[in-house]
Amino acid sequence: MKQRGGSAVVSTDVDARDVEEHEEAAAEPGAVTDEGQPDPPAPARRWPRVVAAVLAVVLLVAGGVLFAQGRALRDTPATANRALTDSEATTRVAGDVSNALGKVFSYSPQATAVTKESAKQLLAGKALQQYAALFGQVEKQSADQKLTLTTHVVRAGVTRLTENSAHLLVFLDQVYEREGKPATTAAAQLSVTAQLRDGHWTVVEITSR
Amino acid sequence: MARVRITRNPLMAAAVVLTVVAAGAAAWGGVSRYEAAHDESAAYAQARDDALAAGEQAVQNMNTLDHRKLAKGLDSWEDSTTGDLHQQLVDGRDAFVKQIQEAKTVSTARILSGAVTELDDRAGKAGVMVALRVTVTAPKGKPAVKESRMLGRLSRTSEGWKLSALGQAPVGNTAG
Repeated sequence: MKQRGGSAVVSTDVDARDVEEHEEAAAEPGAVTDEGQPDPPAPARRWPRVVAAVLAVVLLVAGGVLFAQGRALRDTPATANRALTDSEATTRVAGDVSNALGKVFSYSPQATAVTKESAKQLLAGKALQQYAALFGQVEKQSADQKLTLTTHVVRAGVTRLTENSAHLLVFLDQVYEREGKPATTAAAQLSVTAQLRDGHWTVVEITSR
Repeated sequence: MARVRITRNPLMAAAVVLTVVAAGAAAWGGVSRYEAAHDESAAYAQARDDALAAGEQAVQNMNTLDHRKLAKGLDSWEDSTTGDLHQQLVDGRDAFVKQIQEAKTVSTARILSGAVTELDDRAGKAGVMVALRVTVTAPKGKPAVKESRMLGRLSRTSEGWKLSALGQAPVGNTAG
């Protein structure tokens, strides 16, 4: 493209000169040799233009290559994951998920309905199905054995975070209390997938580790 | 002469515009490349991933030991650690060798999941949490499988991230 543009400049120039010379000395006998006259300087004059065109192309290409390199450096799998790099979002998702797990895995015989209700708000998708299956047994057990469960999040870490999806590892302590018996504490480790829905992180999948 | 100028001008203008655009593209590309190379959040993200990978590997190493290949196993423990933890392992090595040779156990570990909980890229310090499954096989009886959760502190060394502290995540003292 650029090369053709360069030669176009030269040929138009030659035409213009030809026209001028014809006008000045139309009656001159050496008209044929006149036509050839502008040719010898042409290759010499062409060079700066060719060089300029090549330079322009080189600059364009260099710009493109540098930009592509910049993109490659910035858009890596590592940067796509915003865990910790976006500290505010990381803290928020860890807080929301910890809060949700603490609520849905805590119940007392008197208040299973409260737990059930919060589960409907804080869980969705597969997590809600998993929970419903589990909670049917829990509800009965809790009432029969006067069992109270309190769940604390010991630590929550965000493994992967994007704009509206997150993957976390959560360490929990679960304290079981039966009426008339000492409390027992069990450790639990969960992998949790959460999605941002209406400004709140909703737990959509829970896997026991 | 006037005619010559008229025919020349659009081409000259185009050439100038092209040159300016080309120079602009090169400059823009250069700036964008430079910024990317000095993008702290990209470096931070990379450090986070490096720390997690090294942390998970180190935790796995620290939970793997075969009494038939004790030297190799304990070398890998020492390679995975730095600072006080490393010193403790070096100091306690002889006693530990004796203990494992008597018990004749084989421990293997599988990392289930891990996350970086804190990272100070400048200080070269990080905290990781790791959930793992450890299988311990003794000469008698069935292999014992145990789910384990660990918290580790990592320090960056010239050979990459290494554990400077490692322990079980405590159970039962989080009430309140």
